[in-house]
Amino acid sequence: MSEPIVIENLTKYYNKFLALNNLSLRVAEHENVGLLGPNGAGKSTTLKILCGLLRASSGTAYIDGVSVAEKPEQALSRIGAIVETPEFYQFLTPEETLGYLGRLRGMRGDELKRRIKEVIKLVRLEEWGKVKIEKFSRGMKQRLGLAQTLLHDPPVLILDEPALGLDPRGVVEFREIIEGVGKEKTIFFASHQLVEVAQICTQVAIIDHGRLLAYDSTAALEKKYQSLERAYLELTEAPLD
Amino acid sequence: MTELEKLRIVAGYEFLKHIRRKRLYVILGLTVVAELAVLILLPILGDGYPDNVMVMAALLSVGPSLAAIGAIFFAGDAIAGEFESKTGYILFTNPVGRMTLVAGKYLACYAAVILLVLLGYAIVSISLLAIYGSVPIETLSSFGLCLLYAGSVLSVTFFFSAISKGAMGATVITLVFIMVISGIIDSVLMMTGQPHWFMLSTNGDTIATVYGGYELFMGGLGTNGGMMPFEMETPDIGLNVLSMVIYLVVGFLLSIWISKRRQLA
Repeated sequence: MSEPIVIENLTKYYNKFLALNNLSLRVAEHENVGLLGPNGAGKSTTLKILCGLLRASSGTAYIDGVSVAEKPEQALSRIGAIVETPEFYQFLTPEETLGYLGRLRGMRGDELKRRIKEVIKLVRLEEWGKVKIEKFSRGMKQRLGLAQTLLHDPPVLILDEPALGLDPRGVVEFREIIEGVGKEKTIFFASHQLVEVAQICTQVAIIDHGRLLAYDSTAALEKKYQSLERAYLELTEAPLD
Repeated sequence: MTELEKLRIVAGYEFLKHIRRKRLYVILGLTVVAELAVLILLPILGDGYPDNVMVMAALLSVGPSLAAIGAIFFAGDAIAGEFESKTGYILFTNPVGRMTLVAGKYLACYAAVILLVLLGYAIVSISLLAIYGSVPIETLSSFGLCLLYAGSVLSVTFFFSAISKGAMGATVITLVFIMVISGIIDSVLMMTGQPHWFMLSTNGDTIATVYGGYELFMGGLGTNGGMMPFEMETPDIGLNVLSMVIYLVVGFLLSIWISKRRQLA
């Protein structure tokens, strides 16, 4: 089985602060992997390096075998990503924004129009497709963020707290969408929501202080620690050397 | 998909963004107000319009010059804004090189400024035709210099936008650099008789001095430069063009180089 996401010995310093400490991790094709860890554990840093937003101090991140640092455009063509709370140009509408991003990914004409319609419907923004984003709430932007992630039907999804800011109905709908598309895609998904991760992910990686503490199937972790919550609490409470 | 196609897409949507923003219309309004101020106040406060069409053309070039300076307000947030407002988290995760993104944004800003400058020169030409029945051929040179000046102002603004954390900071720094620092150094160099063709504020003056230099301008207004405690040397157009080209190219390349290295933490 191929491994669309490979992280090898990633280390990242922010000045003197060590955010990632020799982190290595491999995500197999069609796996849905949840990345768990306390605030400042290195989750967002890991995802940002995978998305080409940050450069690692050392180590390499690969998407489908392509080094993100060396060939960012080629690597990024394979992914759809939400990093932090997505922000969009206020003066454009969702349809225009998706048109822009779709065209940048080589989509054209009727195919693009059809796909824009589909993803807008999928995230329940049909009534807002032609409204300028300046009027959008945080949750609506999050929905649009998910729409742009799925627009080009990428094989790999990289999601950083994708349900943040959604109302309870939005969270349920988001979960259903991800569960639906997740069967055919590889998902690498950072979250604080253990319930969400347990429901969506087949594998869980727990990190703290930039180091990988556990990486196993959700079922195996639940069996070993009785629950995912206990696994998280036990693994992240121990002081590190 | 080629980078050229991506560049066209980025420039197109960035231009759409400028069209939707209020600042385009604010600068457009200021350009019109500047022209109207010259056209209305000159006959009211003075002895009518100058006899020489060249003097009037030089006076009216204040509108297009203002439009060129307006480039700062389009470009201040071009790069810094992607980091500050975090729209870069969406844009930069697409398979588009930073060079293409910066170049596309630059082209879009330039297109918006060209629109404003064109409007300014349309007012200049119509006014001169209405008052004097002719438009001096030097207006074409003034137009070309104004576009070049706008390009160099854009590049300098892109440079400050690339190194700044926030859009407001980039805009203010550029304004201070061009209007204050460059202006002060320019004045000191002029007063001490040193060459100052490499100062951006001097470069901007060529938009008006192309009509005949400071002497014609002062003479046309009846001052003959007598109030100046030093001799005002009319800028050499060739050297000033060279200076603007350097600002344009160096500023643009530096903004790309910095943007490519900048991380979105």
